[in-house]
Amino acid sequence: MNDFDNLFRKYHKRLLLYSMKYVESESEALDIVQNIFVAIWENGKYKQNDELVKAYLFSAVKNSCLNYLKHLKVVKKFENEISIQLLEMEAVHYQSGERSLIEQENLKQINDSIDSLPDIYKEIIFLSRFEGLKNQEIAKKLNIPLRTVETRIFRALSTLKEKMLKKTFFILLNMNFLGENVK
Amino acid sequence: MKDREYIENMIARFLNGNCNEVELQELKTWTETSPENKKEYISIKDIWDASKTPKENTEEQLSIFYRNLYEKARKSRMLWIRYSSAVAAILLIALAISVLLPQKSTNQTENFQVFSVPLGSRSKVLLADGTSVSLNSGSELKYSSNFSADNRLVELSGEGFFEVKSDKAHPFLVKTKDFNVKVTGTQFNVCAYDENNFTSTTLAEGKIELQIDGSNQNFEIVPGEKFELDRKTRKYTLGNADIESEIAWKDGEFIFRNIPFPDLLQRLERWYDVKLNYSDAGLQKFNFTGRFKNQETIWQVLDALKLTSPIDYRKTTFREFTIIYKPLKQN
Repeated sequence: MNDFDNLFRKYHKRLLLYSMKYVESESEALDIVQNIFVAIWENGKYKQNDELVKAYLFSAVKNSCLNYLKHLKVVKKFENEISIQLLEMEAVHYQSGERSLIEQENLKQINDSIDSLPDIYKEIIFLSRFEGLKNQEIAKKLNIPLRTVETRIFRALSTLKEKMLKKTFFILLNMNFLGENVK
Repeated sequence: MKDREYIENMIARFLNGNCNEVELQELKTWTETSPENKKEYISIKDIWDASKTPKENTEEQLSIFYRNLYEKARKSRMLWIRYSSAVAAILLIALAISVLLPQKSTNQTENFQVFSVPLGSRSKVLLADGTSVSLNSGSELKYSSNFSADNRLVELSGEGFFEVKSDKAHPFLVKTKDFNVKVTGTQFNVCAYDENNFTSTTLAEGKIELQIDGSNQNFEIVPGEKFELDRKTRKYTLGNADIESEIAWKDGEFIFRNIPFPDLLQRLERWYDVKLNYSDAGLQKFNFTGRFKNQETIWQVLDALKLTSPIDYRKTTFREFTIIYKPLKQN
């Protein structure tokens, strides 16, 4: 298979996840990602080395999302204004050089971290992120109070966050160790 | 100040439930209270976003990508045909002018005009003598720059439908690699692709004379007949033709009646400028009958074949497909 197909396979899902930070509908997000790949096909940038291509793809997805937010502000006017402001705050944060986990890690690492969660948290992540159930539906399904669902979701996420941070830290330590060995 | 758990639950509600306006405002105010709060909110939402499992199918998206690309290319090619026919018109006007102007003919330095049609396109040329030639995908028409109402000689590789302006005194001559066709005024189709096993001509109207290259065999063909020459064995057949399906291509239609699978693939390849591969010899025994309009995409044509015959197809790379034989289950 040619380089382009492999590139598509490697980054498609991650770019989709990235645009879904801002774009609620999956079909809309798919369109955004398709357009990015058309652009990279036409301008030939996909032939560059992987790091450059990756940087290009993620900055393209960021710009497309910013444009989408602008469009949303025009269309929706005052409706849900605060939630758009929250999204904008997030977009500005990533525009200033901070990188999202979706950009840094590959998806397998994220999934591995989810797998290593205690069962009670794994379950809530599975129901909300895989099955797509809302808090209310999860509460009904597990027969627990809504407040408990909310607490578990937050705890699951912050445990994941710690795991991901530790992993990065571990990798950094490893690199230092290697560096010293070389000396 | 609300307590910590209140904020945590609100973030969870915001991510995966319903927050009312008041709660949203509270959340926003909280994130603005300190850089740490903002950072925490953003990193929790990031984990939330990263752990989603979308329903997308990457392979399906890849084929949608190529499909869109193909549609885009097709549109720009249609534009190209429009441009190229404008260019052809200008060329022909120039040619007509040069024919009208008296010129010293020096036969030693004879120049040729070549009119070629790219794969996947069709085009029509109007010659200086009033003859019109429709050219099918991947064809080339060559004529001397001396071409005029008195000197009517063209060379064809590929497929062309000729509507020759009648002039008994000056016959119109079509040369192909395998035979020459001589006519005075008539409508006929010539199919002479280099990669085909057969070279053929089909007569719709008038009368044509045919001479096989390198021999002095001459044939007279009457309307409704098709002459076909096997390029390897040099054997020929002369018989009744299905005129409608032979010349439908010039009106942007693709009609085929009872043609073998390899022939169908070859014609589709040329028509759509794609590559169609197959490896199962079981497919060769099938004959196909059908009719497509110019508007269908290759995807639609392949889907139609898939529905009506025991085949399936898979896209392999850009503009390339593999046809798979799927025998029907015996009950």
